[in-house]
Parts: sequence; C-alpha cells; structure tokens
Amino acid sequence: MEPILTVRGMDKSFGATVALRQVDLDVYPGEIRGLIGENGSGKSTLTSIIAGIQKADAGEIRFHGQPWRPASMIDALAHGIGMIVQETGTIPGISVAENLFLGESSRFRTPLGLVSRRRMELEARKALDFIHADHIQPGMPAATLDLQERKLVEVAKVMVKQPEILIVDETTTALSQKGRELLYQLMNSLKAEGKAVIFISHDLDEIKQVCDTLTVLRDGRIITHFTRENYDDDAIKTSMIGREMQGDYYRSDNEPSWQEDVLLRAEHLTGSGLDDVSLQVKAGEILGVGGLSECGMHALGKALFGSAQLTGGTVETEGKAFSDPRQATKLGVGYVSKERDTESLCQQASIRDNIAIAGLKHIQKKHLILKRRETAYVQKQVDALSIKCRHMEQPVSAMSGGNKQKVVFGKWLGAGSRVLILDCPTRGVDIGVKQSMYQLIAQMKREGKAILLISEEMAELIGMCDRLLVMKDGAVQKEFLRGQMNEADIIRYMI
Amino acid sequence: MGKQTIRERIPAFASILGLLALIAAYYIVGLIRDANVAYGLKAVVNQSVVVALVATGAVFIYTLGSFDISLGAATGVSALLGAMAYNATGSLPVMFLVCIGVAVAIGFINSSLASVFNLPIFVTTVAMMSVLSAFMLILIGWNGAGDTIKVKARDVRPLDNIPFKVAVLAAYIALCWFVFTLLPTGREAKFIGGNPVCAKLSGIDEKKLAIIASLISAIGIGLGAFLTIVYAPTLNKDTASSIGMDVIIAIVFGGMPVSGGPRSRILSAVVGAFSMGFLSQIMSMLNLGSGYGQMIKAAIFLLVVFIALGSQRGKLLTR
Repeated sequence: MEPILTVRGMDKSFGATVALRQVDLDVYPGEIRGLIGENGSGKSTLTSIIAGIQKADAGEIRFHGQPWRPASMIDALAHGIGMIVQETGTIPGISVAENLFLGESSRFRTPLGLVSRRRMELEARKALDFIHADHIQPGMPAATLDLQERKLVEVAKVMVKQPEILIVDETTTALSQKGRELLYQLMNSLKAEGKAVIFISHDLDEIKQVCDTLTVLRDGRIITHFTRENYDDDAIKTSMIGREMQGDYYRSDNEPSWQEDVLLRAEHLTGSGLDDVSLQVKAGEILGVGGLSECGMHALGKALFGSAQLTGGTVETEGKAFSDPRQATKLGVGYVSKERDTESLCQQASIRDNIAIAGLKHIQKKHLILKRRETAYVQKQVDALSIKCRHMEQPVSAMSGGNKQKVVFGKWLGAGSRVLILDCPTRGVDIGVKQSMYQLIAQMKREGKAILLISEEMAELIGMCDRLLVMKDGAVQKEFLRGQMNEADIIRYMI
Repeated sequence: MGKQTIRERIPAFASILGLLALIAAYYIVGLIRDANVAYGLKAVVNQSVVVALVATGAVFIYTLGSFDISLGAATGVSALLGAMAYNATGSLPVMFLVCIGVAVAIGFINSSLASVFNLPIFVTTVAMMSVLSAFMLILIGWNGAGDTIKVKARDVRPLDNIPFKVAVLAAYIALCWFVFTLLPTGREAKFIGGNPVCAKLSGIDEKKLAIIASLISAIGIGLGAFLTIVYAPTLNKDTASSIGMDVIIAIVFGGMPVSGGPRSRILSAVVGAFSMGFLSQIMSMLNLGSGYGQMIKAAIFLLVVFIALGSQRGKLLTR
C-alpha cells in the first residue's frame, strides 16, 4: 500500500535549539498513527509543519505523492490536512460560529455584502451536530465555554472540512471521558473511510488502545516504530526516555500517613458549583479529589485558594482564615491551575520572572530586589526541578508543556508554600516528567507539606494519595483511605 | 545554564541603538549644514524633557496593560493651577508643590474611581479628560485675563536652563527606575500587564498596583507641568494638549509595547522622547517641510518598532 503522507529528511531548528533532525515518517490510509515522546522531543513541531503552521528548514513532505507545501494552517485544512492543536485554538472574543468559519465569512455574504449571521450559525449547528456537540450553541461567545467545550469547537472546525489526515495533538487531556470517546469515534470513522489520523498523547494506555502503529521521537529524531502486536510498556518507555526508568513511578508505600497538624481546613463551601463541601488536609498528607470532569473538583481547587465566588463557607490555613488569592499566598498556600497556560503562567515573561513572582518577599533584602539574589533563587528552582532551558531569560512560551509545569511548581516551592493545591498537575506532560513530578510530590509529603491533588486520572489518585474524596454534583460522595482504594468502587461513587 | 546570546539581546537595545544613531546623524547633519549644534541640542532638551517626564511615569500605567488618555489634560490643569498659585503667592516652591499636588490628586481620583467601581483605569481617564478639559476653560475664565494665564517670564527664567531640567528628569528617572526595578512594583505590574488572571492567582493586588502606578505617573505629570510653566510661562487652554499622543509615540518609539506586560521598560519613555526630539531637529536642519518631515518620522517610527519587535515576530516554538 502506498503511504498517504511521506516525510523525508526533515530538519527544524529554533535558534540554537534543534527541534527535528532528519525525520522520516510514512502514514498510510486507514491508519491511526501514534506519536509519542518526552516533552520537547519534536512531536508538535513535526505535526505543526505537516499542518502548515510553520515551515521546515530542510526536507520534503509528500501528500498523495505530490509535494506538500501549505501556505498556512487554513490552506492545509482546505487541502486535506487538519490539526487540533495542543493548547487553546479558539478566539475568546467572538462567537462559536465565527470561530468555526474564521477566514471564511465571505461564504455567508448576503447580496448587500453583509455577513448573514443566521446562515453562519445554521452551518455551525450542522458542524457541531456532526461531532455530537449538540449542547454548544453557535451564537455563544467562545469565552463563555469551558476548556472541553472550546476543544470540541476546534474538533468541529477541523471535522467540518472532512480532512484526509486528522492530527490530534494532546487534545484528550482537555476532554472528559465522554469527550474522549466522541473523539475516538470520529477518529475511527476516518480510519474506516480510508483516511488517516496522527495522534499525539502522553497517556500510554490511551495511545495503545487507540493507535494501530506507534512512532517514538526523542530529541528531534525518530527512534523506533511499534505495531499493535508488539506494544510493550517497558520497551516503549525505554525508547522514549533513552534509558530504563529508575525508581518508583507512584508511591511505593501502601499505608496512609500524615502528621497531626491541620494545614488546610475548609468548612461548608457552597456556591460556584459546590454543595456544602468540608475537608481538611494535614501536614504530610496527600489528599486526592476525583470525580467526573464536571463534578465540582476544579471549582473546589479554586475555592480553596480563595479565587471562586462562594455564597458560603470558610477556608483557613493553620487557623488563619483567608478569602482571596493574595491572602492565601501570604499565608503560604500555592495553587497550580488545570489551565496552566492561561492561569498559572505569564507566557511572554521569562522563566526568571515566572519563578520569582510568588517569592519576591524571599528574594528581597532590606526591601530591595537585587538581581544576584533573584538569579540565585531562580537557579535553585531550575536545578532542583531539572528545568530544561538554555537560560532563565527564555520566555516560558518557548518551553515544552512539562517544563512549563515545572516552572509553575518552582514558583510555589520557591515561595515556601506549605499547602499546595494541585489541579491536574500532570496534564500534558510526558511519562518521564510525570515520574519526576510524582517523586516531587512524595518529597513534599516527606517535608510535611499538605497537598491537595485534584486529578482526572484514577491511577494517579490511587497511586499517590493518602485519602481520596470522590465528588459528584459538587458534593463529596465518599472518602477512601490508601490501601482501600479500588477502581471499581471509586467509579461507582463517581457516576 | 547558558546566557542570552548577543543576538537575543539586540532587540532589547534596538531603541537605544536607534537613539545613538539619531544623535550621530544629528551631529553629522549639523556639521554638513554648518548649523549651531549646541543651540539645537538645547531645543531638543526643551522639546523632549516634558514628554520624557510624563512618559516615564506613564510607563507604570502602560505596563499594567492600561492606558491614560487624560495625561495632557492633567498636565494642563496642574500647570494652570500652579501658575495661578504663583501669581497669588509669588513663591516658586508653592508653584512647584501645587503642580505636584494637583497632579497627584487627579491620579488618586482616577485610580480610586477605578478601584471603587472596578473599572479599567482607561475608562476613568476618559471621563477625567473631559472633566479636566472643561476645568481648564473654567480656570482661564476665572482668571479674568483674556485667554491666557501668565507668569512673569523673568521670575521663572533662573530655572529655564538645561542643567536644571536635565537634573529634574534624571532624579525622576532614578526614582522610577528604583521603584520599577528594585521594588516588587515593577515585576508585579509586568505580570498584571502580561496575564492579569495569572497575576491574581499569584497573589498580586491589582488595585494596589493601579493606585501606585497612578500616583507615580502623577508625579511625572506634576514635574512636567512645572517645567512647562518654566519654559513657556504663558498658558492657555491648549497647553500640553498634545502630550497624551506624544507619550504614546515616545513609549512605542522607545521599544515598549503599548499593551504593556513583561517587555515594559522605564528607559523606553526617555529613549523614545529624545529620539523624537532629535528626529525633529534633524528634519529642521535639513529644511524639510513639515509634510516630508512627518512622513520620514513615520517611516523611522515603523522601522524602530519593526526592529524592536524582531525577537517576537514569526516565532513559532517547539514543544
């Protein structure tokens, strides 16, 4: 069978950073091809070049045997290759319909030259119905949608063009199980039609379940390929990180443990989707919060940091009540948002600025911020967390997802936070970074910090937490202790 | 860990290199045209110093991703009231204090209204601009001396010299640099301008920063008003009216994005203001009519911004 897409000898560099080196890839009709590799391995760079977002420095791409040089992402989509990008690809200030037909408003012109909003919204309705996203209204401003809904708008935007190759770049981390199944269904229907899908994910289980073949990238090079028959977790992980994984992945102990001091206490939190939630987290405890995506756990994270609009309830740390992020930060509470790029980082700012911002009081000497002290402070976090960067003036927007997350961790650890609220901290990070984050969380537990771990990954919650609260409809349904957690029981209380 | 390469650093210094190039061009054109370079230099300082003062303070507001449209009107009202205070008391220190006090009061009202009503500073300054413009007309009417308010030129002449003006500007830049660079204010303001949600979730108090930015900016306005009286002691309803636009141009000319955020720098305002001043003098020495001069200025303006934004343009980054 002839490949639908071939890539030969592709090189790409960003300044001194080599992103791709002599990459060769074939994608065949009726294939779902997985791309896997550590953050920064070149997966997104490779696919973004194929999708017309940027140009390669060298090499050739052929699509249906013809040279493929799309002028832009829109051009690529119009000619058969569409990509759903890793981060948010919608424009918040315009409607869902306008997002779907961005750059195509002329299609909906009336004889008077005006754009017919009604016709555009009717077409948008069809596109949304096609992907079964019937709960999204075409006239709604994109800003009012949550992360999952925005992602579904992007899916609809690509699928309405019926691409011959669909590229899905770490999209599923933003989707609930229902959303994921919807996407898998679409991918399988493309496969059945003899089209192809390139699927990027850090979730090894997911990628094994979804993909027919798997290509591993490391440091910008293709390392190896796997077919479904020879999928092997250890072999895949080893080829991804270039060494055998050392040490534990999750915690190795099986007993719950914590110290006596209560570091975070919440009483009767109500509002913002929460229904009378009370909890406490002790020093040296990892308290997990799980449930379906809309169960209220993400709102709980915000509420515990004082950034949700509540109608009732109190939050305190070490006996001191607080009600906004400024007070929380002063009292040593840190918050890692699920929406890392929009809420936890200032993308245009440097690594230095992002790490230092929450710890300025530690950097100040006689009220002054001296660059030398600031550099030492940031360097300490960069070294401790093994943040991969060329220098600390590099903007965080230039970093891989995993390294960005490390910067967020560095920001709060440097600030000396004793309580850490981590909302999906391993979202979009590769298996190697995940392992180091779990080790870091375990280390924080040993140091006596109180950690609230909100996660949509059951294995992560079971593997890391001392206690687990399962939420549904904004309320806590059930509490499990470490050693008593089992997946089937947990799911029973989630649904 | 490595350090930034020279190539990576160049965009940050593009505007300073631009200013140095303009200074060099000024001397070369002066030599070729046999112009009085020293006199021209005095004109550059006189033209640029008030814009530089107001723009340096305004950097704090722009850094927040906000915008103050009332800068010109605030400078005008401060100058008018300062002049009236001098005419009433005959005291230059009183005139100075009134200029500063009025500007600070206006800044305080702007930022307090923004805080109380939870509005962007820009919105309150739009309203404030209308109020202040009307207030200028009322003040001139009250004064009862035709369309102007005058201070005797000989009374302020001792201060109308370059060393004094440069000293005032240097002192104010030093104050702003200190607050912006050595205190948390600058870093926090950059974060608010870069990502207000992240800033809030990092524990930064946006309202406090807005008040600080307005007050520091107000000091620049007050100093600008004082030097306006010193340089041109006959004031009218149009006094300082062009400052608002000049400040925007100076800030962009100085290589800072008007959208603020992490790439904001205190020196941008000064570099931009003086670049504009030198450019005007070069045009003047070349006897270019205002039409050609404006076009050349516009072209150079675009070139500077193009170079300054070079590091950001077309950068699609690997993950």
